[in-house]
This record gives sequence, C-alpha cells and structure tokens, in this order.
Amino acid sequence: MFIYQRELKKNLKSLIIWSIILSGLIIMTLSVYPQFTKDQQMLNDLLSAYPDSFKEAFGMNRLDIGTLLGFYGMQIHFMTTLLGSIYTVMLASNIIVKEENEKTIEFLLSKPIARVRVIGEKLLAVFTNVLLLNAVIVATSFIGFQFADEQVSLNTFNIIILSTLLLHMTFGAVAFLLSAVMKKSRTVTAVSLGIVFISYLFSVISGISEELEVLKHVSLFKYVDAADLITENAIQPLYLVIMLAIMLLGSLLTFVVYQKKDIA
Amino acid sequence: MNVIEMNQLTKMYKKGRGIENISFSIKEGEIFGFIGPNGAGKSTTIRTLLNYIHPTSGSATVFGKDIVKNSKEIRQRVGYLPSEVHYYDDMKALDLLLYSAKFHHYKQTNRINELAEKLQLDLTKKIEDLSFGNRKKVGIVQALLHEPKLLILDEPTGGLDPLMQNIFFDLLNEEREKGATIFFSSHILSEVQKMCDRVAIIKDGQLVKVERIETLTKNNLKKVNVMLEDGKVFHSTLEGIINLEHDGDNSSFLYSGSMKDLLQHIHTMDISDISIEEPTLEEVFMHFYE
Repeated sequence: MFIYQRELKKNLKSLIIWSIILSGLIIMTLSVYPQFTKDQQMLNDLLSAYPDSFKEAFGMNRLDIGTLLGFYGMQIHFMTTLLGSIYTVMLASNIIVKEENEKTIEFLLSKPIARVRVIGEKLLAVFTNVLLLNAVIVATSFIGFQFADEQVSLNTFNIIILSTLLLHMTFGAVAFLLSAVMKKSRTVTAVSLGIVFISYLFSVISGISEELEVLKHVSLFKYVDAADLITENAIQPLYLVIMLAIMLLGSLLTFVVYQKKDIA
Repeated sequence: MNVIEMNQLTKMYKKGRGIENISFSIKEGEIFGFIGPNGAGKSTTIRTLLNYIHPTSGSATVFGKDIVKNSKEIRQRVGYLPSEVHYYDDMKALDLLLYSAKFHHYKQTNRINELAEKLQLDLTKKIEDLSFGNRKKVGIVQALLHEPKLLILDEPTGGLDPLMQNIFFDLLNEEREKGATIFFSSHILSEVQKMCDRVAIIKDGQLVKVERIETLTKNNLKKVNVMLEDGKVFHSTLEGIINLEHDGDNSSFLYSGSMKDLLQHIHTMDISDISIEEPTLEEVFMHFYE
C-alpha cells in the first residue's frame, strides 16, 4: 500500500484546505438559521424577494425553509454537492495523468508492481479522500445544528449525506477514467470540471421551464435534489442504480484501459 | 542461460517507426552494449522489455519469463536507469530511494548511504533542487540499490562528468562480479567499447548486427594512414577501400580486403609514412551506417 500511503500524504494539504472552506461555509450558514426562524416576517420577505422561477429552479417552493433540514437542503446542500464534486474531480482527474505528464510513472512502472495495483491504490486514495471530506461535512453539520433548538430526522439526513457521497464518487469515477484515457493533465481537469458545471447548470435550468425538464434526467445533481430527497425521504431507485452503474463502470474501465495502455 | 531473449520483437507506432523484428539474446553475466543513433529504437526496445509499451508482434523473455505476462516478476530483479530521470519533485533524494527499496522489499537500506557516498550525492536535498547530473546519480542509486540480477541502463553516462563516469563504471564492475547481467544502451561508442563484451547495433528500428566487440574491431577492417612524398595526394581504385579522407598530406581510409593486395598495390607509391592499425569502434560503426 505504498502508493496509497503516498497519495494520501500528497493530497492531505488540499483535503485540509477544502475541509476548512466547506466547514466554514456550513457553520456560518447554519449559524444564521436561529435568527431566521425567529423572525417569520424576515423569512417571508426573503422568500418573496426571489422570483418564482428561481424558487422552482432551486426547489424552494417544495422545501420548508422554516425547518432545519429544509434550510439545510436549500442553503447548504448545493454547496456540499457542488464544491465536493469539484474537489473530487480535481483530485481524481490528476491522479493518473499527472504521473504520465511528469513522467514519474516511469519510476513506478519499473518497480515490481502490477498496473492493476497502481490503479487500485490510487482509486482507493480518491475514495478515501472523498469519504474524509464527507465525514467533515457530517461533523460540521452536526456542530452547526447545535445553533438551532431543533431535532433533525437522522434518517433523512443520512439519505442526504449518502446521496452527496454517491454523487461525489460518481463524478470521481468519471474523472478517474478520463485521467487514464487522456494525455494532458490540464485537459482532463478542464473536461471533468466542465462535466460537473454542465450537470449543475442542467439541474438548475431543468427546474425553470417545463420544456427543459428533460434535462433533469442527464443531470446528476438533479438525482440528488434536496427537495426530492427530503419530501420522499429516499433517493429514487432508478437514480441510485444509474449512479452506481456509472461508478462501477468508470472504475472498471479504468483498470481495463490502463492495463492495455502504452506508456510512451 | 540467456537472461534476455528477443524473438522477432516488433513495435509499430501509428505515426513514425518503432522497432521491427528484433531478435537477439543476452547471456547471464554479460555486459551487452546496445548502440545506435538517437531515434534508432534503443529506448523503444527497452520500454518494450519493461512492458511500458506492448509489442505489436513477436515476443521476448527476461529470466525465461514472458515480458507481457510476467512483467511484475521480471521487474523484481531488474534495475532500470532511464536516460532522463524524472522523480517526484517534492521528495528528498533519500525518501525517493527508500520508496524504491520498499517496492523491492529490500531491507539493507544502509546501502543507500554507501552508494551515495561513492557518487558524492547529497541525500538530504529535494529532487527539485538537484542538478541534472545529481538527479542522474539518484537514478543510478535507485537502479543499483536492490542488487538486481539484470541492469538495464539507457544512456547512463549522460550528465555525469568523466570522473563520475569512472566511479559509475567501477560500480557496474562490482555488480558484474556479483553476477549481474548488464544491458547497456548508448550512442557513445568509446564507453561501450570499454565496458561491453558484445554489442548489438540498431539502425532505423532494425537490428544491423550482433557481434563481439573484439570481432568488430578486428573484423579484417584496418585503419590505414598514408602520407606521400612531395605533397602528392593518395588516390586508389583498389577494392576494399572505403571512407577515403584527405587531411593535408595525410590520407586515411578503412580497408577490408586482403593485406597482401593492399601492400602490392601501394608498394610502388612514394610513401613517406604509413600506419596500419585497428580501427576504433566509432570508425567501424560509421562503416555500418554508410
């Protein structure tokens, strides 16, 4: 597990930075919640300030911002899903191709280690980092919940967090595959981030107009829509299957592609 | 026993040439030279042996094991020094070498210090702060550290000063005495001539010749220097004379025919000075590339 250890160590700094940013945002946002509920007038003012289409786009019309989880779903869920996905794809898209760009892969592949093992340990390192980031999200969320004098449904919160984790890993698997297939480090990062942003964009505009609603089927962010998760108290089985399939397929293909690849 | 055996090994690239039908073998304990100009296919051959790239056709074995199927086992006992050393910039030289030793499950890590001392390498510096030559030294230690049975060296002396090159050759001789086989790729013929028992010559992706160094240089081919009286210029149509060159009064050429014919041919000329000697490998080599 030398490669795994090395990857964890190498990526620790960026994990810490992202953890600080995310936990800061989560705690800051949750600290506003008590004032928010105290002043019902302010709440209504705030909500009416948004145009209807905007509310629809972000599922505000279906979420009760006056409850702690509703508030979380509206104000925090988009940050954890979007920022977490950005973190994951940036990590995963570099982890293979960078060694090829910097030619350090020549060192690794001259050692007695199978390519499958190299990929396996790197994949494990990506998943470990994502898990840790999500653990930070959970921990800081619970700290933030203490500001409010309100119990959250652990069951629902679990579903929200597991969906977030699944989303991160799905994007991660795609970026990981691209990292094995493509040649230039910067291109892989750009393409992976592009996929995340376009997916996010689709999830937003699919809520705006009915004509564009079809887009929600191709947007992973819509799969883990907070309003859906909270009102249904479950993730849709179809979406769950699609995400698991992408994750498995992406990871498996990476092994296959890399095994046959010529390291020029 | 053959340590390396290549059988019609071919690697074709979509654009540009790779290597074509390379067949030769290297015996245990040999120091085997692999020479050719840049782009001839030396590195491609080595990369194929290490399974960085997959052969298009043909096959090869190292220690009797298939280079594609058993690559991992092969690499356990191989030390590889690439022509350009690329390591993790953020690591210290020592960290890199310890990392390398771990993969080989090599425990006698004080050998790192011994080797570094001989090569005058500062192990506490980060890779990114090391000069090209010093990076090469890290590469050398990395290749020799686990006392491999086979050393594959790709242009190993690039970046090393002559003094360091000698230390490096001493280290290679030590490994050889321990029984290591050495596959030595280079375009510098003098060092190949100095180190190697046999040599394979590659050109445009094809094997030109495999020969003992002695045979190559003693291969009937003689280097002849002739100086004629009164500043006359040497001219001859005798068969077997190649690479005739004039430098002032002095004319030099390579001769591959019978010595008797040559002497008969020139004994009537007004020769003021003549020398007939073994050609250097360089000259032999140029002959192959004509």
